[in-house]
Amino acid sequence: MIRFIVAFLTFYSATAFAILEVTILKKAENAFPIVISPFLVKGDAKQGELIANIMRDNFNRSGEFSASSADYIITSQVDFDKWQAKKAEAIVIGKLEQVSKKIFNVEIELLDVYSRKTLYAKKFAVHNSGIRRITHYLSDQIYFALLGEKGSFDTRLAYVTVANKGQGKREYRLEISDSDAQNPQTILRAASPILSPAWSPDQNKIAYVSFKNGQSEVFIQYPFVRRKTQKLPYFDGIASAPAWHPNGESIVLTLSKDGNKDIYSYHLKDEKLTRLTSDVSIDTEASYSADGERIAFTSNRSGQVQVYIKHLKTGKINRATFAGSYNAKAVFSPDGKSLALVHRVDKDYRIALLDIATKDLMVMTQNKLDESPFFSPNGSMIIFATNKDDSGVLSVVSILGQETFELVSKAGEVREPNWSHYSK
Amino acid sequence: MLKITLLTSAVLLLSSCTSSVEELYQKVSPRSALITEEENAAVNQESIIAVDSSSFQSQEFKGSHTRTAAQNSAARMIVAQLKNSGTKFVLNFSYDGSEIDEAATQEVIKHANFMRDNPTLDLRLEGHADERGTREYNLALGENRALAVKEILGLYDLSSRVKVVSFGEENPVVQLHDESAWQQNRRVEFIYQ
Repeated sequence: MIRFIVAFLTFYSATAFAILEVTILKKAENAFPIVISPFLVKGDAKQGELIANIMRDNFNRSGEFSASSADYIITSQVDFDKWQAKKAEAIVIGKLEQVSKKIFNVEIELLDVYSRKTLYAKKFAVHNSGIRRITHYLSDQIYFALLGEKGSFDTRLAYVTVANKGQGKREYRLEISDSDAQNPQTILRAASPILSPAWSPDQNKIAYVSFKNGQSEVFIQYPFVRRKTQKLPYFDGIASAPAWHPNGESIVLTLSKDGNKDIYSYHLKDEKLTRLTSDVSIDTEASYSADGERIAFTSNRSGQVQVYIKHLKTGKINRATFAGSYNAKAVFSPDGKSLALVHRVDKDYRIALLDIATKDLMVMTQNKLDESPFFSPNGSMIIFATNKDDSGVLSVVSILGQETFELVSKAGEVREPNWSHYSK
Repeated sequence: MLKITLLTSAVLLLSSCTSSVEELYQKVSPRSALITEEENAAVNQESIIAVDSSSFQSQEFKGSHTRTAAQNSAARMIVAQLKNSGTKFVLNFSYDGSEIDEAATQEVIKHANFMRDNPTLDLRLEGHADERGTREYNLALGENRALAVKEILGLYDLSSRVKVVSFGEENPVVQLHDESAWQQNRRVEFIYQ
């Protein structure tokens, strides 16, 4: 495990990039109160502080927890009565022991304040370059122990930043970061627009749209290995809106090679193109359900922009959205039961959650120009791009409709968010 | 609905360039004999737009149509003349629309005639959308707008000389968030090359 983490992290170069600023917006009123004690450290005290801080930030960002520290180091002799009186429901205590210059032993324990039982405990050795990763992993374990659901901490984001360079010139960057926006890395810099980044299911590749050759084309880049960026075969017209099949073997995309914008699936190994829609209208923005059996896509075939679902086995296409005159860019929730999409309300474009079976549509935001919704891998949050103070920012809303946090770049706009699956 | 308007800009005032198809003929090695009466009559019409020429980029033509070396150099000269005169031709569209109405069709036909009179020139049609709605849908919408113009030019057998690209909402001419900005950003740019 340690070896794997070291190998993984060496690909992050030493170059520093502008980190997105994370602002926590609101916690749920009944947020779960958790105390994450300062760690008992033998050796480099800073590393212990780092772990506890990352963990508290993780839980606070989730919107479901209210994480705080204690004013002293809580050890195994926990005064449960006192923490009950303080209304804490769970306590995390930890030890960090430096065994060599770069190797640490980490030990953590999660305690239920009421039952006074240990809910989770773990001990292992970690290289100092893997401390962030391990902390996200432990946060996921604690989240699961308390809520019975997976967390989304040990995952990554991809997004596009745009900075004005003067004289009408802009610099576009495709960046990736940890789920807490730390460890940002620019994987592509361009003078022309970059759109629709999409993590592959194995998290080793990113598909995106680039205009570097003067028209929209789809590329696949390998951010962690030295391997040449691959361009999907180009046909005359648009090539855009890539999304991965959950098995990682093919990509759905929009092509207009016949002048008609339709959805195709491209098998990467077989280099085979399969047409999935054929309608004279615009069909675009396809995305797969987690079981790979359905695609949702945007079409104006009814004369309005609406979302449709195609069942790939039967070939049947059903209209999914009926409320409002504009619904687009839908993505399936991990459980396949709902869609997050862009919904027009009067003159505003907002993020909405559609229950596919009941057709109930819940508007999640109050903004004017929301776009590009994407689920966190556990389905508890939706990240999207919006405009704030005349600049593009990323915002995250919980599926219960609570705004949770915001990601802002000081250097310019941030847009086109995509959230990876779980790390391997 | 679709509207063609004459916009003013700093460039327009400085170099006193208005861009109409008629003026195109003057800028590009005049062929007055070829201008029809009908076209002369149209000179005074409010017609095509001149906007900031700084974003005018000559791009190499990558279409299937091939030109001889002599044609290439002739075309390059014309393109340079157009560029220096700050001409830019833009057709605007309605919200979520890619239809071209009768008046705008007449303008496109003038471009068709101009292209027939200047057989060395190729045309790149750049389709754009306003910022509202999703980026990928707007990319498709921008292409539909440019294709609608190309369809008219195709009636004049010019398809092989016309290249269509779409930038969706990515390259707005006005970076504001109001109806006036959106109206100007929903457009097809005619770029001779």
